[in-house]
Amino acid sequence: MLFTTFKPSALGLTLFFLLLTIANVSEGQKKKQDASGLNDRYQQIMDMSSKRTVIKLNANRYRELVRTSPRNYSVVVMFTALSPKRQCAICKHALDEYTIVANSFRYQQMFTNQLFFALVDFDEAQDVFQQLKLNTAPVIMHFPAKGKPKKTDTMDIQRVGFAAEAVARWVGEQTEIQIRVLRPPNYSATIALVALFTVIGGLLYLRRNNLEFLYNKTMWAVMSLFFVFTMTSGQMWNHIRGPPFVHRTNAGNIAYVHGSSQGQFVLETYIVMGITAVTVLGMILIIEAASGKGDIRKRRIMSIVGLGLMAFFFSLILSIFRSKAGGYPYSFLLK
Amino acid sequence: MAATSVAKPASKSNKTKSKATLLNALGYKSLLTFTILALACIAGFASRLFAVIRFESIIHEFDPWFNYRATAYMVQHNFYNFLNWFDDRAWYPLGRIVGGTVYPGLMITSGTIHYILHALNIPVHIRDICVFLAPFFSGLTALATYFLTKELWSSGAGLLAACFIAIVPGYISRSVAGSYDNEGIAIFALMFTYYLWVKSVKTGSVYWATWTALSYFYMVSAWGGYVFIINLIPLHVFVLLLMGRFSNRIYTAYTTFFILGLVLSMQIPFVGFQPVRTSEHMASLGVFALLNAVAVLRYLQSKLSSTEIKYVFTIGVLIAGAAVFCVVVLLTYAGVIAPWSGRFYSLWDTGYAKIHIPIIASVSEHQPTTWFSFFFDLHILVITFPVGLWYTIKNINDERVFIVLYAVSAVYFAGVMVRLMLTLTPVVCILSAVAFSRLLELYLKEDESASKGGETSDNDENDEKGMYDKAGKLKKMKHEQLKENEADQGLGINVRSFVVVAVMMMLMMFAVHCTWVTSNAYSSPSIVLASYGQDGSRQIIDDFREAYYWLWQNTRDDARIMSWWDYGYQIAGMGNRTTLVDNNTWNNSHIALVGKAMSSNESEAYKIMTNLDVDYVLVIFGGVIGYSGDDINKFLWMVRIAEGEHPKDIQESNYFSERGEFRVDSEASQTMLNCLMYKLSYYRFGDMKLDFRNPAGFDRTRNAVIGQRSIDLTYLEEAYTSEHWLVRIYRVKKPHEFNRPKIDKAERRFISKSFVSKKTAKKKKGSIKNKPVVIRGQRLSDQ
Repeated sequence: MLFTTFKPSALGLTLFFLLLTIANVSEGQKKKQDASGLNDRYQQIMDMSSKRTVIKLNANRYRELVRTSPRNYSVVVMFTALSPKRQCAICKHALDEYTIVANSFRYQQMFTNQLFFALVDFDEAQDVFQQLKLNTAPVIMHFPAKGKPKKTDTMDIQRVGFAAEAVARWVGEQTEIQIRVLRPPNYSATIALVALFTVIGGLLYLRRNNLEFLYNKTMWAVMSLFFVFTMTSGQMWNHIRGPPFVHRTNAGNIAYVHGSSQGQFVLETYIVMGITAVTVLGMILIIEAASGKGDIRKRRIMSIVGLGLMAFFFSLILSIFRSKAGGYPYSFLLK
Repeated sequence: MAATSVAKPASKSNKTKSKATLLNALGYKSLLTFTILALACIAGFASRLFAVIRFESIIHEFDPWFNYRATAYMVQHNFYNFLNWFDDRAWYPLGRIVGGTVYPGLMITSGTIHYILHALNIPVHIRDICVFLAPFFSGLTALATYFLTKELWSSGAGLLAACFIAIVPGYISRSVAGSYDNEGIAIFALMFTYYLWVKSVKTGSVYWATWTALSYFYMVSAWGGYVFIINLIPLHVFVLLLMGRFSNRIYTAYTTFFILGLVLSMQIPFVGFQPVRTSEHMASLGVFALLNAVAVLRYLQSKLSSTEIKYVFTIGVLIAGAAVFCVVVLLTYAGVIAPWSGRFYSLWDTGYAKIHIPIIASVSEHQPTTWFSFFFDLHILVITFPVGLWYTIKNINDERVFIVLYAVSAVYFAGVMVRLMLTLTPVVCILSAVAFSRLLELYLKEDESASKGGETSDNDENDEKGMYDKAGKLKKMKHEQLKENEADQGLGINVRSFVVVAVMMMLMMFAVHCTWVTSNAYSSPSIVLASYGQDGSRQIIDDFREAYYWLWQNTRDDARIMSWWDYGYQIAGMGNRTTLVDNNTWNNSHIALVGKAMSSNESEAYKIMTNLDVDYVLVIFGGVIGYSGDDINKFLWMVRIAEGEHPKDIQESNYFSERGEFRVDSEASQTMLNCLMYKLSYYRFGDMKLDFRNPAGFDRTRNAVIGQRSIDLTYLEEAYTSEHWLVRIYRVKKPHEFNRPKIDKAERRFISKSFVSKKTAKKKKGSIKNKPVVIRGQRLSDQ
């Protein structure tokens, strides 16, 4: 401060300087207080982030660390509702992705202490949500070091999703800190695979004297058929696109079948899978009835039942198809 | 189709009926077979002609235009010139080596047909050959499918399979008249190669294996999907080895096929050294090594003949397998073998393309398949083909292993990518034919056995060619035991006819479905559009050709046209002008540059356009007629691809409204309203009032009034807009044209100040020598 310039030369001058100094000291003290508050806060947030990469904030902490104005760090905050009673299914996934971003930021070369990742739970800070007028979760916001958050500082989860890559890109756009997402390698699939092979290998070893079952054609046929049903019912589409299980319409009804030909629900594909399987069973019954050698009455019943199954379920799948394809003119048995 | 499918059982009954005179039976049988196959071919050909009848004989869509242009080039110049063709009219300023980057099979096929017809003095234009090539080859596919199914199961099933494949929408989608593309002939090559392979596995002869390799060569020259063959056949051999079904037949067939196929496939310039250098082909090489190892060990086993050698054999095979695997992995690691390319890799890791290669993900054909698409393309066949699979596995033999593997792998690929439905379709037809033929065989045959007695059952077994020899023998024994109550052995005429009629009705549903789908979904040329009025009258919208013709007639021969890559082939094919990017999409950064120009503002775009020497910009705009496939709807992909290469300049989020929607109305973002694509699409559109219900500037495609009504262009000027505004062409101004106001030549004049001569007395040039000095009142002295 100005103490260094203080030279006792003339009284007037001294007095003047004294006055000046006092004024300066009082101002300086205020600044110091701010600075120390800033330092304190910075220290605090540093401590917290060294314990956990995603800092959990309650309402007070949030106001203290994020909303108090002089800051030399910026904070990315995720507002979410993790408690099970809120029934927010995607919040959990979003948190996982968010944590991946925070962790990859930490173990990065570009790691600076200028950016922190924080988390505010709805049940611990309801007033914060009200203050920010948030009525959905999760929301990811960026609070820059200087100035108020702008519109672009709220991440558009609706559009870009909450995948770690998208979050990292968005953070890069806002803060110019590029984060390369390092996903922790997922060993679960490998472990499952190894376990599966071990089990199969073990079983084969235990039954090494009797490997006849490997030549069981029925087993192979059932496995192939199951695979075919899985694929033709569009499970791969489900796997890639991740549609909802069923759709709840505004009226409260549950739609099992997607209205357009472009989409499908998970349950819908299971239904289709079942219908296909039953139709196939019907046709096999018809054929077996004719080629079998059992009691003739039984075989006749078998044949009729098979035909019934085949015809009915084929018309069922045709009518589902028809409901999805606009203007499709044909139907069989069922409308 | 309905007619043929009904005719087929008739062939069965005829076959058995005329047992008494064997010669006669053979005659009937081949006549019927021939007739049914001919009908199937004709039905297949005819049902692909919707587009030709409704519109005209014209090449469809995008890629076929390039194929047509290349074919025309090859016919005009000769084959070797075609192979050396450097196309400087595409990918300006880079150009494209066409001969080395296409599968030439398609062009050679139609070129050969053209040559033969002209040699016979039949003057057919090459365009008509190109248009009708795919329907013609679909007939050949039906024949190849018949032969394959006949080898695998029975000739009855073969006839059914031929009928199915002739009309199934999954195949028609790629082979309607005018769809002049590789797939059209490739499916025939695929089925024919498989037929020859099955034949060579059955016979174990070098002759058939050589034919397989030749057919494979044709397939390699025709379509990139040949990779499917070169992986499926080794897989077949490998599974046969695992099942302990090794035989000298398989050894001969595979080694012959592999070596010839390898050498032949490397003759195609585009394929080159890929067969020995990429992972896609390594499976075939590995299986070849393994097969040889097994053969050697077998030989040793026969020489040594001891019980312990069995362990040596097993261990030897395991070691050989592991060694082959390790060598391939090591070579890949060392970089000698290229790893899986992106397109193939995305088949295994289904999320790969979406993240890493947006240009692959952007193509709608590369999306996964819904159950709806399966049913739409295959109808009843998708439900019944598991039945065929079931019976094939139940009655397995060497060659049926092949069809099972084909079915299981193809159904996986079809699930991952809509486009690969095409490779699934033939196997679905074959296996469904097996299911239906088994059913109809039993239900129509018993009719005979009930009426004629036990004699025919004997004949049935002969007809089946020992396919169910086990079951058949058992049956016969029982049959003899149960001879006393033969009368009620059959299911009875009521049940049988009931079943047959119901199944026939379902097959007829299939036939009408196929016709409906072909007519409604797959028969649009997409360069000529048709709209139907309320009274059913038809209006043809021919804007694309109109605009391309304008380009051809009104621009300089070397004019360079910038458009999004979808239209590159059409501009080159119909307009005969140089394009910057086209559907070949081999250079992503060039495409990104065009995308950047389209999504930047006018002055930024002008810089890019001058760098690329662009003369004209062409955009497709559907707002007037409500055409949904226009450039504004594709615009986000342009932005995304541009962002991939230029993340600093283009950000996708800037093109969304505040609520994160992609809009064109007043809520759209400023970046969106000022980008080149928006301006070019909606230039002068704000003044246009389409009808009385909607205000001026109402976009029918997006159902919105555009956000910026008055659009001024500085660096471009409108050159041409087609009748329905579908195609809009703009001319890029030269620098001198927008820097200063343009003045007509007649009006040009120089404004000058009042004239002051700078000539002084001194500087005056030319003076008269001995100028007489005239003094008033004095006479001239005469010197």
